[in-house]
Amino acid sequence: MTVLRADRLTRTYTVEDREITVLEDVSLEAEPGEFLVIEGASGSGKTTLLTLLSGLDRPTSGRVFIGDTDISGLDEDALAPFRNETCGFVFQAFHLVPSLSALENIMFPAELKGDADAPDKASRLMERVGLQHRKDHFPHQLSGGEKQRVALCRALINDPQIVFADEPTGNLDSENSDAILRLLTDLRREKGATLVMVTHSPEIAEMADRTVTLRDGRVVTP
Amino acid sequence: MSRAMLHRRFVLRQLTRSGKQAGVLVLCVLLSVVTLVALNGFRESVNRSVLGDARRLHAGDVIIHAHYPFSEPVTAAVADLEEAGRAEAARVYAFYSVVRSATEEESLLADVKVVGPGYPFYGQVELASGRPFRAVLTPGNVAVEQTLLDRLGMEIGDRLRVGDATLTIRDVVVQEPDRPVDFLSFGPRVFVDMADLESLDLLQRGSRVRYYILLKAAPGQTPEALAETIRSVALEGQERVETYRTARSRVKRFFDNFLFFLALIAIFTLLLAGIGIRSALDAFLKEKEKTIAMMKAVGATSSFVTRNYLAVTAVFGLVGTLLGLVLGILIQYGLPRLFGGLLPPQIQLVISWQAILEGLLLGGIVVALFAFLPLYRLRDVKPTVVFRLETASVPHRGLPFYLTALTILLFFTGMVLWQLEDMKIGAWFVLGMVGLILLTALIAQLILFGLGRIRIRSLALRQALRGLFRPGNATRAVVVTLSAAIAVVFSIYLIEENLDAAFVRSYPPDAPNLFLIDIQPDQVAGVSETLGQTPQYYPVIRSRLISINGETIDREQERKRRGDNLARPFNLTYRDYLLDDEAMLAGETLYRDDIEGLQVSVLDDVVEIREMEIGDRLTFRVQGVPVTATVSSLRSRTRESIKPFFYFVFPEDSIIRNAPQTIFTALKVDREKVGELQRAVVSEFPNISVIDVTQAIATMADIVRRLSVVIRFFTAFSIAAGVLIIVSSVLATRFARIQEAVYFRIVGAKSRFVLAVAALEHLLIGLVSAGIALGISQIGSWIVSWRVFEISYLPLPWASLVMVLGTVGLVVLVGLAASVPVLKQKPVKFLREQGE
Repeated sequence: MTVLRADRLTRTYTVEDREITVLEDVSLEAEPGEFLVIEGASGSGKTTLLTLLSGLDRPTSGRVFIGDTDISGLDEDALAPFRNETCGFVFQAFHLVPSLSALENIMFPAELKGDADAPDKASRLMERVGLQHRKDHFPHQLSGGEKQRVALCRALINDPQIVFADEPTGNLDSENSDAILRLLTDLRREKGATLVMVTHSPEIAEMADRTVTLRDGRVVTP
Repeated sequence: MSRAMLHRRFVLRQLTRSGKQAGVLVLCVLLSVVTLVALNGFRESVNRSVLGDARRLHAGDVIIHAHYPFSEPVTAAVADLEEAGRAEAARVYAFYSVVRSATEEESLLADVKVVGPGYPFYGQVELASGRPFRAVLTPGNVAVEQTLLDRLGMEIGDRLRVGDATLTIRDVVVQEPDRPVDFLSFGPRVFVDMADLESLDLLQRGSRVRYYILLKAAPGQTPEALAETIRSVALEGQERVETYRTARSRVKRFFDNFLFFLALIAIFTLLLAGIGIRSALDAFLKEKEKTIAMMKAVGATSSFVTRNYLAVTAVFGLVGTLLGLVLGILIQYGLPRLFGGLLPPQIQLVISWQAILEGLLLGGIVVALFAFLPLYRLRDVKPTVVFRLETASVPHRGLPFYLTALTILLFFTGMVLWQLEDMKIGAWFVLGMVGLILLTALIAQLILFGLGRIRIRSLALRQALRGLFRPGNATRAVVVTLSAAIAVVFSIYLIEENLDAAFVRSYPPDAPNLFLIDIQPDQVAGVSETLGQTPQYYPVIRSRLISINGETIDREQERKRRGDNLARPFNLTYRDYLLDDEAMLAGETLYRDDIEGLQVSVLDDVVEIREMEIGDRLTFRVQGVPVTATVSSLRSRTRESIKPFFYFVFPEDSIIRNAPQTIFTALKVDREKVGELQRAVVSEFPNISVIDVTQAIATMADIVRRLSVVIRFFTAFSIAAGVLIIVSSVLATRFARIQEAVYFRIVGAKSRFVLAVAALEHLLIGLVSAGIALGISQIGSWIVSWRVFEISYLPLPWASLVMVLGTVGLVVLVGLAASVPVLKQKPVKFLREQGE
């Protein structure tokens, strides 16, 4: 049984009169609890693939299934609650809401689905990542490593089936990178979530259950 | 790159590719100059075509004016001047009188002007027929305003009863030089030839007649010398002698005061628009932050960057100023329509080059002042911004901020003094304006501080609340500007409505509506008989206050007051009791046993003009005779009732009783009987003026309404400044808003939620602004009603609700309109741009 299935995904962009294909005929699958790494050089189409798999963008052709749901056919307002309950996101640039405190950033996805336990869950997660003393701090008051730990908690608060991570250690020093990776993999294991991570770090790729390599928008190693 | 003064291509590119922020900036500059340009141009047009020729406005070189027949010395001096060939003289008598159709079926209070040969020395009385005035106004004939014909249903050729005479209407007066507008009069004009004066039999002892002698200086004679000759023999405080240069016209005073008030509003708008300029420029430069950082990264110096953006700002400023000038001129041309009948129809509007030049200068200064800080802060943009994703640099307030604020304050003080030409009022206005803005800022700060600490369960509302404190959000500037603008607009509305309610709408049903003035003492019994009742009669003695405790009243100084003054004539009366609506303020009885000689009870209105207390000695001039009395008590009265009142009341058995006097009475008559009674009284006693107060009040109310339209028009510009600041605030935080919307979407928020957050954020801004505006305007209007007008105050809850809903609706609408394109951004597009 697969939790995530991409079927012949192609994504082209039109820039002025030119058509640029950034992803072509990509298919892949991920099992529940699997740690899948998508690697490749800059410009190989890794992030584009991640946005298509997570429903942040729609393929020009092909389909994406999360569980039994074909998300490529959903409109934005149907995708949003689906993402909320099924997916978690961790980005290289953290992407925390600047006007919300660390705790508020974490509990926001849970509050969106009306979870009354959101504050408790968020607090527990903060404690788990060692940030309980930073609850009321705003993003600009946190270090890069702390921001990413907050983003990690936000990604996990709704117990998603899949966590999508786009170069989560790209903006961190090695000490923080190790810590984040450890937390990410531990928490994934604890929650039983599938982790789909984009990276060009061979060290991280080695930690994965499986690696998909992209080159010029095509899968070179399935 | 850095060595060049300006990089023309760069400047051009910034100009052509500037977005909506530049549009808002240009609009703010436009707004800052438009009202003052329109007003100053309009003022010049009014001055030129209505008030411009002072000689025409007074119809002579020297104007001798009195409320009594001229004294013997003055009459003799004028005759001497005529005889010596130094001047020509024309006599004019003006008074209100009820005129009737010859059949006595219709009657109307008219403003009668009896003019002697020579009048007018300057300007012309224009008649509908186009014939010369003097050829028409011959003995037995009158010229009247069209309104009189309309209201009496008469035509040219019909016979009109004026006093005891029956005269023929020969023509319609279109324009008279010394009355360029007619709305300050309570009745249509009737011109009567001097030869008919006696047959009217209207000049009784003590009647309310304005007496004038106009002099035209012979060649070689200066008006000043002629005036001095007359002044040396004139009765001080009773006969005023002025040259056309020094005389103050009622019309001129009206326009001066009204345009003065509009100038206050225009300056207020200028200040708000200035805040808008700063806010919009901040937004514009914020968007260019990456470009600036990149320029610095590749070697541009801060001064090069600043110079180039200064050039860009200067071009926007110039475009805004020019558009403001054009719109200002267009508005000026629309103003006569807005004034609707308050201006003569033939007013000639001029394009005032001075106003245009001033506008250009003003635009330049305002842009320079308000653009300084945003441009100065370009120095702080670091090249490292290129590498950062978030741009959350909040500038700190250093010395340049406070110096700029001080310069702006000094500039506005200068502007106010220049526009208002009145040091005292100017200083009060600046204090009031700064006070209002500081008060609004303080309340806004307290409310926002409180809001920031509230724990809210609703997720959307909480996010909206957090949005108010988004870095770079101009929430406080928006709230302060909107609150201050709406507080001013709504206060004007509240005061106007309260005045209307106190004096017009709630005209007490039992209050007198018919005033009979100029009754001669020997006519009292006859009047009672005609009326079929004996109302209360009030004797009236015309006088002037000459001195207080021996200190002569400085008439020049008094006339400069904008409010009531002690130089005007006062009506004295005598009685030994308080009226129903009066109360003692100082002293237990009207008069005291421990004061020797003549006593006088004074109304508190006088005390407000000049401090007075029991025991003070007041000297009046009554028909040329000085009369001194000691203040025995101070009285107060209810301002809301429309009942006769007197500033100075003397004992019944005092010498005042023997002074020349007229009598008036006020009575309540059913509306439908007013005309009949008016005709009955006037046909029996032609010298008595019967005034229908409700009609007079309706006329006044109509004028006030028309003036409020003009005021609302000008105050609307200050609201527009507030709206522009909302737009620029949204644009300034565009990046943060997109960022939030995208992050919300990524973690699963629907579009509806994102939109709800934006709407709620603006709803909060609207509610806070409207709340502050409501509080300030209610308290301010209550104080003005209570202290200045002394009327009871109606808070007008429905109007308040409409104001709050209107403000909130406007803010939400404008905020959403500016936000929607921002919120529609697709998450993946934003993420991709950030990744690039």
